[in-house]
Amino acid sequence: MNPFNVWLDQASAIASTPAAWAIFVAGAGIYLINGWRIRFLILIAQYFFVGILFTRIFDTRPEMALLKILVGWLICGAFLISARVRANAIARALARKASEVPEGSARTDARRPFQWAANLPFRILSLIVMTLVAYLAAEKYPLPFISAELALACFILIILAVLFIGTEENDVMVVGVGVLNLLAALDIFYSAQDPGLLVTGLLVMVNLLVGLAISYLAAVEVAE
Amino acid sequence: MTLSGPVVLIGLPLAMSVVLQVLRRWTAIMAFLATITALFGGMLVLSTPFLDRLLSLGAINIIVEEPFYILGRVVAVEPVDRVPLIFIFFTAAGLFVIAWRLLPHSNFFPTGLMMVAMLAGAIMVKQVVYTALLIEIAAVLAVFPLYEPVGKRCSGGSSRGGARYIAYITLALPGLMITQLLLELFAIFPNNTGLLQGATVLLGLSFAILLGAVPFQAWLSTVATDGSPPVVTFLFTVNMGAAWFMLLAYLESYTWLGGQAIFSSLFTTVGLLMMVIGGSLAAAQRRLGRLIGYATLVDNGAMFMALGTRQVAGIALTVMMLMARPLALGLMTMGLDGLKRLSGGDGSTANNDAGLINLEGAGWRAPWRAVAFVVGGIAMAGFPLSLNFAARWGLYRVISETSLFQTVLALMGCTGVMMGVIGVTRTLFAPLPKATAPERTVMQPNTIGSGNREDLVVLIQIMILIGATLALGIFPGAVSQIALHMAEGFTFF
Repeated sequence: MNPFNVWLDQASAIASTPAAWAIFVAGAGIYLINGWRIRFLILIAQYFFVGILFTRIFDTRPEMALLKILVGWLICGAFLISARVRANAIARALARKASEVPEGSARTDARRPFQWAANLPFRILSLIVMTLVAYLAAEKYPLPFISAELALACFILIILAVLFIGTEENDVMVVGVGVLNLLAALDIFYSAQDPGLLVTGLLVMVNLLVGLAISYLAAVEVAE
Repeated sequence: MTLSGPVVLIGLPLAMSVVLQVLRRWTAIMAFLATITALFGGMLVLSTPFLDRLLSLGAINIIVEEPFYILGRVVAVEPVDRVPLIFIFFTAAGLFVIAWRLLPHSNFFPTGLMMVAMLAGAIMVKQVVYTALLIEIAAVLAVFPLYEPVGKRCSGGSSRGGARYIAYITLALPGLMITQLLLELFAIFPNNTGLLQGATVLLGLSFAILLGAVPFQAWLSTVATDGSPPVVTFLFTVNMGAAWFMLLAYLESYTWLGGQAIFSSLFTTVGLLMMVIGGSLAAAQRRLGRLIGYATLVDNGAMFMALGTRQVAGIALTVMMLMARPLALGLMTMGLDGLKRLSGGDGSTANNDAGLINLEGAGWRAPWRAVAFVVGGIAMAGFPLSLNFAARWGLYRVISETSLFQTVLALMGCTGVMMGVIGVTRTLFAPLPKATAPERTVMQPNTIGSGNREDLVVLIQIMILIGATLALGIFPGAVSQIALHMAEGFTFF
């Protein structure tokens, strides 16, 4: 193993448990904050932390972990474009409805980038309960052949996916983030067993396609 | 140059899909090329037993049965794969013809070919994990044409069904992939039967999600309601058909799976639940899309029940129902597409407050579309005269040998779908409300109006499909022979 890989392995060993919890904090941010710009930044950060966990799996091939991060960021870019299209279309529609704001200045959303999601107490409560479930599941049912912090990250990602898919059904993009979290959990678990090139390639393709499909759905939902 | 069969069956549709993306301006050419490509794939597999190992096409020689190796993984056309591949290619070809006039300049043709390539790959590849990933890719690809704004049909409707579909299919993915790991572990530790039990549960759960079994049926009705009708038919026939054939292939490959004690009762119970719940929901349904979704749920339930009989006849009935579905759903699609356009699009102003398309008297304005929907609905319900009737009748006979109660419940499920079809028919052919002059103008649709303005090609397609449905309903022998022949290839019972 070359010195850089050794250093990276040691650094990722130290950072992996904090990275698992950082994934949770990022997921919580997406769940609790209702502003697409902030969600986009959080998602970028989440993919970075997922990448740190991948360096634990691909310890001799850090380029694979880098690939996973880059794919995630590409998906974030697609989401950003769709979110912009969506926000502008909704703002224009609202402005037309109200017939007060002129067509060119219908960017009300831009003035209010941050707002808490609706039903905040319920969301916080469900997040706490689900976190407990993830933590206890990771303690009680250790996943075979992967380290404890990777197992914890897998459970956290699955719990976040369940929350996003189950409670945010009307928001296509949040459902998409849930699906991507589920795929990330599967990717971490499966790549640890079979880090083969074919599986990795197909998983990357699935991730990219899911990201593109969700972006497409989000944009087409408000198309005029 | 010599090519192996899998390379042609996967590579040709993929290459053609790239060409079709360039030709999107010319729908007829696109539909023609897509149909020819799919037909070629089907014919290639169909002709395998009659070929002397090699098919020579000028400078290119194709050896269909020669395996193809990619990074050490085998992709091959085995005898048991032939019927699934033929079904996928021919059904796709038929649906491309149907979509020719319904989806102008659509992405459906190239994406459909890509999906066909992925599903053919899923059938031919021999490891569960790759099959699962290819099925997932095909499912995600389907979303693009499913919610594509086509022609004058505006978009802006809900795309919730698409997101839900992706979410459900992705939920099925971990089960299938982890099953592969458990099986590899079992090969190392053959005494650990817990691994097999885990694999059984995961595989069962994954297939339940893939096939929309209760309680994972929510995506069926949502996708059928807000998706493009021809693409919905593609999903419910080609994609779902591939999943059914995969299930049969796994039962054949992993004999311990079919040998599980709970296998029969689990399939029967799930099937019965699907039929009863689907039938109950369909009976009260007036939304055309949802009716299609619930009819498919009942049909899937009947197929689960047929497998639960643990008889060769059960497999034959499952295959027969699968073969009957494209005809019935094709008709329903053509009807639904026309009736949706009649109201100006999915989310048009012609819809009432509840989001229902205003169908009252629509049958008088688009009689052929209405007839197509009703005949397709009757066929999906498994009533005479249709191929599905022969299959369902066979199912009732097989089940009644063990339980008359289950037979009655299954029959009630099918009756529920029929009641839904009757309800829709009554609405479609209700006396036209007296309309004011402006309303009459609004009611003149963009693409189809009264019966005499119907697209001639669509009219011919509808008549051919109705004729084929009736002919196969009267003479189901040919299809049942194919189904029985295929069923005999499976030895897991």
